[in-house]
Amino acid sequence: MKNTFKKIYAWVDERLELQDLIKFMAKKYVPVHSHSIWYYFGGVSLFLFIIQVVTGILLLMYYKGSEGLAFESIQFIMSKVAFGWLIRSVHSWTANLFILTAMIHMFSVYFEKAYRKPRELTWLSGMLMLFLLLGFGFTGYLLPWNELAFFATKVGTEISGAVPVIGKPIMEFMRGGDDVTGATLSRLFGFHVAVLPGIFTVLLGLHLLLVQRQGMSEPSHYTDQPERERKTMPFFPNFFLRDVLFWLVVLNLIAILAVFFPWELGVKADPFASAPAGIKPEWYFLFMFQTLKYIPAKVWFIDGEVLGILAFGLAGMLWMMVPFWDRKSSRGEQNRFINYIGLFVVMFIIVLTIVGWLA
Amino acid sequence: MKQKYILRGCVLMVLVLCTGRLFAADQCIACHAGVVGDKPSALFKHDIHFAKRISCADCHGGNPKAEEMEAAMNPKQGFKGVPKGDAISQVCARCHSDSTKMKTYGAALPTNQWGNLQTSAHGKLSTTGKEHIAQCITCHNAHGIVSVKNPASPVYPLNVVKTCSKCHANAAFMRTYNPSLPIDQAEKYRTSVHGALNAKGDPKPAVCSSCHGSHDIRTSKDAKSSVYPVNMPVTCSKCHSDAQYMAKYRIPTNQYDKFAKSVHGVALLRKHDVGAPSCNSCHGNHGATPPGVESVSKVCGTCHALNADLFSASPHKKAFDDRKLPECETCHSNHEIVTATDTLLGVAPEAVCSRCHQESQNPKGYAIAKTMRQLNDSLALSGSVATALVNEAEQKGMEVTEAKFKLRDARQAHLQMRTMVHAFNEDKFREVINKGMAAASFAKVEAKDAIDEYYFRRIGLGVSTLIITILSIALFLYIRRIEKKQV
Repeated sequence: MKNTFKKIYAWVDERLELQDLIKFMAKKYVPVHSHSIWYYFGGVSLFLFIIQVVTGILLLMYYKGSEGLAFESIQFIMSKVAFGWLIRSVHSWTANLFILTAMIHMFSVYFEKAYRKPRELTWLSGMLMLFLLLGFGFTGYLLPWNELAFFATKVGTEISGAVPVIGKPIMEFMRGGDDVTGATLSRLFGFHVAVLPGIFTVLLGLHLLLVQRQGMSEPSHYTDQPERERKTMPFFPNFFLRDVLFWLVVLNLIAILAVFFPWELGVKADPFASAPAGIKPEWYFLFMFQTLKYIPAKVWFIDGEVLGILAFGLAGMLWMMVPFWDRKSSRGEQNRFINYIGLFVVMFIIVLTIVGWLA
Repeated sequence: MKQKYILRGCVLMVLVLCTGRLFAADQCIACHAGVVGDKPSALFKHDIHFAKRISCADCHGGNPKAEEMEAAMNPKQGFKGVPKGDAISQVCARCHSDSTKMKTYGAALPTNQWGNLQTSAHGKLSTTGKEHIAQCITCHNAHGIVSVKNPASPVYPLNVVKTCSKCHANAAFMRTYNPSLPIDQAEKYRTSVHGALNAKGDPKPAVCSSCHGSHDIRTSKDAKSSVYPVNMPVTCSKCHSDAQYMAKYRIPTNQYDKFAKSVHGVALLRKHDVGAPSCNSCHGNHGATPPGVESVSKVCGTCHALNADLFSASPHKKAFDDRKLPECETCHSNHEIVTATDTLLGVAPEAVCSRCHQESQNPKGYAIAKTMRQLNDSLALSGSVATALVNEAEQKGMEVTEAKFKLRDARQAHLQMRTMVHAFNEDKFREVINKGMAAASFAKVEAKDAIDEYYFRRIGLGVSTLIITILSIALFLYIRRIEKKQV
């Protein structure tokens, strides 16, 4: 058996020169310090992305992206297709965990100042992927064509429609018309399975390439140590195997969630029915939704909702551009201001999400 | 004898003198009755208002004491002539809406007639758009008005139908207001028990105003109307629940109490379901009469159409007719019809079939009734088992939409079976039962599969978690081993 594996490996190695790759990876070292745990969230996000791609493709084999068939096709997947319930639940749970781990990854990079020169492009590509991820969540939410998703999409697209000048055309583009209809479903389905994955894959390739090229970022508290005291571990096999270990733990968690809390399908959307009480978006949009509720209808002469959306847009833009305006961190100096902003943002998101959830 | 003639002569003299005095005081009557000799003044002499010393001028204005016509009928003296349109009723309302004034005439009449008339169906604008459809004189006459208790009054019970029919039986007139409103109410009324007694001179049975009201008549679609479906039973019960009033007719007076407890009564009176039958739905309204023995199924069949059709085509139709048994009523009762349950079917003591189909006298009917009940129970049991299984699967979070659809089919079959029972045909009954049993079986299988799948998932999870955990531990130990080597 062992000989057979060796033979196969030798056959592949002869053609692909795997030894070179292993040597490259073995030469790659990962810094070991008190905050090393955060390095794993990038890897686990990649793992969840792979699960999403695999389960998404499996779902595509049965899903029908039309107003009249979408709900029924998911119903069929859940009840008739062998392990369809598992695939769908895993896809839904993984989507949420993916956004969570990506956010943790993003905040860890932010607090470790890993975005500073020369990793501005890595940060930018990561941020763009996070936005795309939210786009995946938004477009995928409508696909089961159930009541909650229908009205949440209606509210969501309506909010984007409030943006001055470009809002209305964006809303109509997303909806494929004036209202959320079967056209919206087809459009969002197209985005979810073709447009977004295409762009995401390109960005992911760039992101991974940059990480491989530039190596793991070393935080200042690590580089401040004398060189001989700086601990490292080989990327392969040590870090890679630890990554895999974490992936296995997450896989176990997903399996438990999928079996004990199967993702509900709800009631089929009825465009003529009135919206059910307490419509809320998915948890990752909840803090924004809740904030918009607190803003008065009119602030001076500006519409409260418009002001909120513009404020979030501006904050997002500033956040994404942090490597370019946080010059202190790039120079290797401490910048506590960045930490305070980061802490405020984290607290803001957590509190508003909890309030929104309980509301 | 002589004294008697003297007394009569004195009374006549007093009357002549009094009349003369009255005529002398009211020059209107003096001219109109004495000189012109017109009909209004002749009628007015018999008018209750005349007896109460109300003069022509009280309604028409002018100076009743002036001897010259120009002076008496001078507009400057307030002469109005013949009032037109709403002015007619307003003239009447001047006294009839004023309780103080009415008391001065010693009348204990209500004073809300004009107000009620304005809000009634007759208070709507007429085709001219300038006045109400009906005025006081439309029903009470203008001159010669007498008390409603006076048989000469057009609104005396024996005359009401004729008075109302003046307009309501006039197709040309009614068309201008409501072309869809029937005009045969009076004709139907004459065929009713009420109408027949009324025609014999009995003023007690209901006439138009007994049910519709008098001044405050509203359309039957108006929720405030006394003939609005929800209010109908109370309206009928005003007489029919009054034992004293109904004593002479020797009919029961507990219909309302029974109806209120019935499935129809609960739907109509408690749930305010206007689609539920009221008294008139079965008895008719203007032609109100109890349905005949043979026509009961037709009457019930106006709503329960399928049941009635099946019954009419069943062997029971002839058997019931031969024995003069009222059709639906024999099993379901009449006013106190309660929700039909499965216990009605079969040969148990509480079942209605066993009242006729006894084992000793009618073994074939007995056997069929018994079989039908058994089939019914089988379907009910199968349905409840399937429901319990589907509920269990659903509570376990399983997707059982298709099973629920089938359960609905089984319930539908149970309902169909309840209808089909009226065919009293075992084969047809069995056909519906089989359909329901198939649906229930399908639901049971689906639900059982879902429950099995639920446990399979848990076992599968246990196994996969165990494998992943072992793999994780092995990997952890492997990492430790290689890191030890590296050190």
